[in-house]
Amino acid sequence: MKQFKEKLMNAVFMLAAGTSIFVVALISVFLFANGFPAIAEIGLFEFMLGTKWKPLEGLFGILPTILGSVYVTVGALIIGVPIGIFCAIFLAKFCPKKLYAVLKPAVELMAGIPSIVYGFFGLVVIVPAMQVLFGGSGKGILTASVLLGIMILPTVIGVAEAAIKAVPESYYEGALALGATHEQSVFGATLPAARSGIMAGVILGIGRAIGETMAVVMVAGNQAVIPKGILSGVRTMTANIVLEMAYAAELHRDALIATGVVLFVFILIINLSFSLIKGREGR
Amino acid sequence: MKRIIGINLAVVLILTTLLGCGRKENTGITVISREEGSGTRSAFAELMGILSDGTDNTTQTAEITNSTSVMIATVEGNVNAIGYISLGSMNDSVKAVKVDGVEATAENIKNGSYPAARPFIVASKDNLSRETRDFVDFILSTEGQKIIEEAGYISAAESGGYNGGGMRGRITLAGSTSVAPVMEVLAEAYRELNPDVEIEIQQTGSSAGMISAIEGVCDLGMASRRLKDSETEAGLTPIVIAMDGIAVIVNRKNSVDSLTGQQIKKIFTGEITDWSEIG
Repeated sequence: MKQFKEKLMNAVFMLAAGTSIFVVALISVFLFANGFPAIAEIGLFEFMLGTKWKPLEGLFGILPTILGSVYVTVGALIIGVPIGIFCAIFLAKFCPKKLYAVLKPAVELMAGIPSIVYGFFGLVVIVPAMQVLFGGSGKGILTASVLLGIMILPTVIGVAEAAIKAVPESYYEGALALGATHEQSVFGATLPAARSGIMAGVILGIGRAIGETMAVVMVAGNQAVIPKGILSGVRTMTANIVLEMAYAAELHRDALIATGVVLFVFILIINLSFSLIKGREGR
Repeated sequence: MKRIIGINLAVVLILTTLLGCGRKENTGITVISREEGSGTRSAFAELMGILSDGTDNTTQTAEITNSTSVMIATVEGNVNAIGYISLGSMNDSVKAVKVDGVEATAENIKNGSYPAARPFIVASKDNLSRETRDFVDFILSTEGQKIIEEAGYISAAESGGYNGGGMRGRITLAGSTSVAPVMEVLAEAYRELNPDVEIEIQQTGSSAGMISAIEGVCDLGMASRRLKDSETEAGLTPIVIAMDGIAVIVNRKNSVDSLTGQQIKKIFTGEITDWSEIG
C-alpha cells in the first residue's frame, strides 16, 4: 500500500513537471511551424531587414519593430536599473525597520498592478507631461521607456534585494573591521559579492520590458517606421502583433506569428546569456 | 564638492524650465489613425479619398491605436491632435469638426449631405436559420430601429412592427467592434421577447467577422463598412441595419471648427503637417 502511494505520488509530480515542459514545447512547435514558412515565403532578409511594414500591400519588413523593441528596452534599463538597484541597496542595508514595513509591500504592490492600468496611467499622466516638457505628441520612445522603467522596478528591486541580503554578513563585518565606513562596506564589499544576483534581476527586467504589450501600445505611438529620435513614435514587436492579429489573415497572420518567432529567439538569447554569466560566476 | 554639484544641477533645472516656457508654440499636427484592417479606418480612408488604387496612403508618421477610447483620450490630451471615431461614440471631451461645412449630425447623414457616412451591415450566406432570420426581422422592425437611434446611430430601414416571438435556439454573431455595442442592446431587447434564444456576440473586427460568416463559424457577420468584392463573391449577402457617421475629432482648445474633405485628406496623407497651413 505504501509502495503504491509512493509510486502514485511520483507519477503525479512527474505529470506536473511534464505539463509545463509540454506546454513550452507545444508553443515552440506552434510558433516555428507557422512562422518559418512565412519567413521562407517573404525571404529572411526582406523580413528581418525590410524597413517597410505595409501588410495590405504585401510588404513585411519588421526591422522598424525590432529596433523599436530594442530602443524602448534599452531606455527602460537606463531609467529603471539605477533606480531599482539603489532602491534595493537602501531596502537591504539602510532602511529603518518602520519604513521598511511600508516600502516593501509598496514595491510588491507595484508588481501586482495590471499592465493595462500602467498603460492608462502613462496615457493620462506621462504623455501630457511629455507634451509640456518637449512638445510634440508626447508619445514615443522616451515615454514608453519611462513607463517601462517604472514597470520593471519591482522585478529588479525584488531580485537585487534578495541577492544583497544573501551575501554573508561576514563580508560586511570584515570591511567594517578594516576601518571602512558603513557606506564603504556596503558598496565595496557586499555589493560586488551580490553582482550575479543583481545581473539576474536586470535580465529578468529586460525580459519583462521586451515582452510588455498592453502598456506600450497605449503610449508608444505605434508608427511602423524607424524612429528618427528619442521623441518620435515607435512600434514594438509585441505591439505589432497585438494591433493587427485580430484582423490578419493568410500571409499577414503568418508574418505576425513570425514576428513572435523573432521575439521568442530574442528571449532565448537573453536567457542563454544569463545562464552563461551565471555559470561563469559559479566557477 | 557636493555643494558645487548641487548648484550646477539647480542652474540646469532652472534653465530648462525657462527654455521650456520661452519656446515658440508648437502647432505641428499629430495625426492619429486606427490600425490596418479596422472597419472605421477602411471606411474613413475610402470616404476621404485617402485610399487610391487599393493603396492606403495614410502617412507613415501617423500614430496608430486599436481602440476608440485611446483615440478619444489622446485627442483630449493633445491640443494638436486630429483623429476620427464613430459618431455613436462621440462625447463632449473632444470636438467634432464640420466637414465641407456640414455638421456631423444624424439629420445630415440621413439627407446625405454629410460626406463621411458608412453603413452598418450584417452579412450571411443564404441558409439562415429560422431564429436568425427572426432576429434580423427584429433589428429591421420599428422597435429595433428605435434602439439603434437611441444609441446615436441613424436608422436605415422601416419594415413595420415586430410580430415574431416564441423562438428558441442559439445565434452567434461576430465582427466589427463598432457594431457590437449596439448589437448587444438589440440582443438584450430581443431576448426579452424570446427568452429561449441565446445570442453570443464576438468582437473580432469587420474583416475577421466576414471571414467567420463565409466559413460558417458564425450565423451573422457584422461589419462597419460596405462589403468588399471578394466577400460578395464568396457568397455573402449584406443587410444594412443602420447608418453611422465618422466624426473627425480635434481637441476642444483647437480653434479650427471646419475642414474641407481635401484638407482632411491632405492631413492624413501627410501633405499638411502644421495647423498654421489651414486658414
